[in-house]
Amino acid sequence: MFGLDFRNPVFLASGTFEYGLIYKNVTNKVGAIFTKGITLEPCKGNPPPRICEAACGLINWVGLENPGVRVFCRDVLPRMNELKTRVFVNVAGFTPEDFAEIVNELDNRVDGFELNVSCPNVKKGGVAFGRDPDVCAQVVAGVRKITELPVIVKLTANFCDPLLVGQRCVEAGADGLSLINTLHAMAFDVKKKRPLITGGLSGPAIKPFALFCVNRVKDLGVPVIGMGGIMTGRDAYEFLLAGAKAVSIGSATLRDPYAPLRIIEELEKFTG
Amino acid sequence: MISRRLEIIRKTWYAQEIFGFELDYPGIHPTPGQFFQIQVDEGIDPFLNRPISVASYKATRLLLVVKIVGRGTRMLGAKNKGEHITLFGPFGGRFKPHKKKSLLIAGGIGIAPLHFLAEHLSRDKIPFDLLYGVRTTKDFIFRKEMKSMCGKSLFVAEKGLKRKETAVSAIRRMRIDDYQVVYSCGPKQMLIEIQRLKLPVPVYAFCEDFLGCGCGLCLGCAIKYKDEYRRICVDGPIFELGEIDFEV
Repeated sequence: MFGLDFRNPVFLASGTFEYGLIYKNVTNKVGAIFTKGITLEPCKGNPPPRICEAACGLINWVGLENPGVRVFCRDVLPRMNELKTRVFVNVAGFTPEDFAEIVNELDNRVDGFELNVSCPNVKKGGVAFGRDPDVCAQVVAGVRKITELPVIVKLTANFCDPLLVGQRCVEAGADGLSLINTLHAMAFDVKKKRPLITGGLSGPAIKPFALFCVNRVKDLGVPVIGMGGIMTGRDAYEFLLAGAKAVSIGSATLRDPYAPLRIIEELEKFTG
Repeated sequence: MISRRLEIIRKTWYAQEIFGFELDYPGIHPTPGQFFQIQVDEGIDPFLNRPISVASYKATRLLLVVKIVGRGTRMLGAKNKGEHITLFGPFGGRFKPHKKKSLLIAGGIGIAPLHFLAEHLSRDKIPFDLLYGVRTTKDFIFRKEMKSMCGKSLFVAEKGLKRKETAVSAIRRMRIDDYQVVYSCGPKQMLIEIQRLKLPVPVYAFCEDFLGCGCGLCLGCAIKYKDEYRRICVDGPIFELGEIDFEV
């Protein structure tokens, strides 16, 4: 896939495993890690409350907290490059130019990029980009000019068809697609009679919809990385059956940081 | 490995909605403020683990005290002696108590981690007093244990005692100058009110919140501290109270 060899098809999704440095014994056994979203300038993230449990999942409103690409390159990347796994940086731009500039800073220092055009928790860019096929194509084309490394686009399924957006991204030069990002969600504080959180829903609650979306984009001619509520090897195998070439584990690590190791083992029983 | 599946060796109801699990967990060295993430159910609902701080650790016997506050903790309360629970940890930064005369201020279930702190202070022969406030007198737990470890103790309640008062109002009639450090744990509102008192000694807060992972992965438990967001789970849960911005 992408001209790279991967240890196995189980990856760590962006945002739920920090930079892979806390549980290196897990990171070193997966096929790849996708970093937390990296922005051009440092990003403080959103004020609390940032998470709220939902039925079979959670809603998060973390909001791309990260040190910015330059500090990331200086302080984090050298440590990530010692990891024994593929490192993909999740690139979170607020403008198409941001994406190109971040990729430029990181080019040839990582294994590839995941363009985050689907974060529901930021005011600029994010999911608003991800819904617009023209803007997505522009982002991909801009990045394509800069790097020869694999470029994956992380798609949203929030109020849009990932097939339409995915197709334009592939035409613009994307090497792969990953989906789905979290889904728009809310929870209310019934005592205070006001919203408690507005953010992105993840976890097993979204798995059936994620499978549908993965299946929808499987024939665009590029590898698909499937994610959304994978808790077991059986879940992962379902995504492979839906058309994914690999899967990413996200929310499961919040319940058990070692879940990816168990999932790898369980998946092997299905794939033989 | 940080996860264990352990048998509940003893279950104790301390109050109507407060219970404790005793577990045999050798080989760990938890420090005050550290906590475990307890898996409520093997299925996927409730999805997240529940953070429960260490109330006692002696020899290999770990005590976790839980207050029922919602569906997850209620489900935990239905587990009994002989059943097993899965827990992850200990999580939280390692905190070394100061070797100074201390005042412990507990509000409600905040007594649990302070009881563990008291075990440490008492073991290290560091003198300390206790101020412990609850809603109703039925909620007092560890009364005898705390009395046996601390110097002076003051127990206050909003209901059930002649004088109706909160821990915060009781602080006002204490001589804080007698202490070199204060440790506080309780509801957020209590911490906010203690912060407003601007006590003349360093005050540490044991913070709690709804956590995602509990181990630094998700950045879900942000708290504004010294003007930037920190993670309660790994950067805390003990913070200098004066430096917290509760954003109220």
